[in-house]
Amino acid sequence: PAIPEGVPGDRTANRDGVLVDEFGLPQIPAT
Amino acid sequence: MTHWFHRNPLKSTAPVSFNLYGVASSPAANKICNDLRTTRARLLDMFTDATCTPEIMKKSSDEYFALLQGFILPLDGTTQENKLRFIQNFKWTDTLQGNIPSAQQDAVFELVSMAFNVAIWYTKFASRLAGKENITEDEAKDVHKSLKTAAGIFKTLKETHIPRLITPAEKGRDLEPRVIDTYIVQSQAEAQEVTIARAIELKHNASLIAALAFETANFYQKADHTLNTLDPECSSKWKKYLQLKQHFYMAYAHCYHGQTLLAGDKCGEAIRSLQEAEKCYSRAEALCKEYRQMKGPGSTAKPSEQLFFKKLGSFIKNTLEKCQRENGFIYFHKVPAEAPALELKASYGLAEPTPFELPALSAQCTPEVYATFDLTRGPKDDKAKAKHDEEIKPVKEPDLKPQKDTGCVVS
Repeated sequence: PAIPEGVPGDRTANRDGVLVDEFGLPQIPAT
Repeated sequence: MTHWFHRNPLKSTAPVSFNLYGVASSPAANKICNDLRTTRARLLDMFTDATCTPEIMKKSSDEYFALLQGFILPLDGTTQENKLRFIQNFKWTDTLQGNIPSAQQDAVFELVSMAFNVAIWYTKFASRLAGKENITEDEAKDVHKSLKTAAGIFKTLKETHIPRLITPAEKGRDLEPRVIDTYIVQSQAEAQEVTIARAIELKHNASLIAALAFETANFYQKADHTLNTLDPECSSKWKKYLQLKQHFYMAYAHCYHGQTLLAGDKCGEAIRSLQEAEKCYSRAEALCKEYRQMKGPGSTAKPSEQLFFKKLGSFIKNTLEKCQRENGFIYFHKVPAEAPALELKASYGLAEPTPFELPALSAQCTPEVYATFDLTRGPKDDKAKAKHDEEIKPVKEPDLKPQKDTGCVVS
């Protein structure tokens, strides 16, 4: 497996395939 | 965003000496009692220390709870109740009941009352931080995190620790389900407010903002309804705050839903949605005035004076005018009599309470030391007993300093 980038933590999380920030918002605003 | 959140007062308590001279028959047992007294006093000081941070609060509360559990957890290898659980009397006031204390001779009562105050402190810390001028992204994260921490403490107390009390909480007291449920939902809703502000700043999808605002308004409505059967004298002001927030976020939901409708070329429905937003906004403004005139426990928030509040009013007005213009030029849609129903489910931004875990039992509380607490010898009467019926003074809390309002930029 590839070496994971960054450190594990709460900055990003994968939710239904969409990366979300600490507030639970998608990391890339979809406007 | 100073004075954006309503806050009830902290609970106050009578000093506890833990003077179990007769019972604590070894130096190690005496040290536990002394440390309980000092860690408790230190934690109480932290509640009103304006420089206290979540890290300091966590450390102070962990130090006290680690020792207090020596009076709660079974320590003699059996499943029997800890023999020290009912040895010390504790008095606590409630956030809605002024200076009239509840008293229970039960260490679990002390644990839940103190942890409740820790949760209230987190909500106050969040409120103070949210009131800072030019709040940074990290600070916004701390506000959000503190509110979720508070929600988690309230929730864990309700589900795990309060059911262990022998004497159930009386009506209107902090530990009764209606009051604690309201605190849980309010903390979650306020955390979501931070997320909504961020979503707007980062120009997230209008449907995402509408759904989150709608769910937040519903949280506030739920919190308000939970207090319906409580004595109005202690709950009306708090209820008014919850109602004004409900209408404010319902205005948001209709406003952003209107934008989604316009983007989908449903201009007539968009106009109706924005008219509904205007209606909710006016109701929120009226409720702000009523709230400020209410008497009752708690600080008085001034949301209608905040840019974040005012900006929504002009945003609704401008968007409605834009829709009406476009309808006159392009769409010529009939505006429906009924406002479009909001059946929105938020997929993003809902705030879950952070699970609250007590620290591990203090290393001082070994079965050997526990065995040196001798209940047959009876504790010496201490001064606290003589003061039994004295009223408990309210906690003197640091004032909120008004700061320049920047309209809550949290991106």
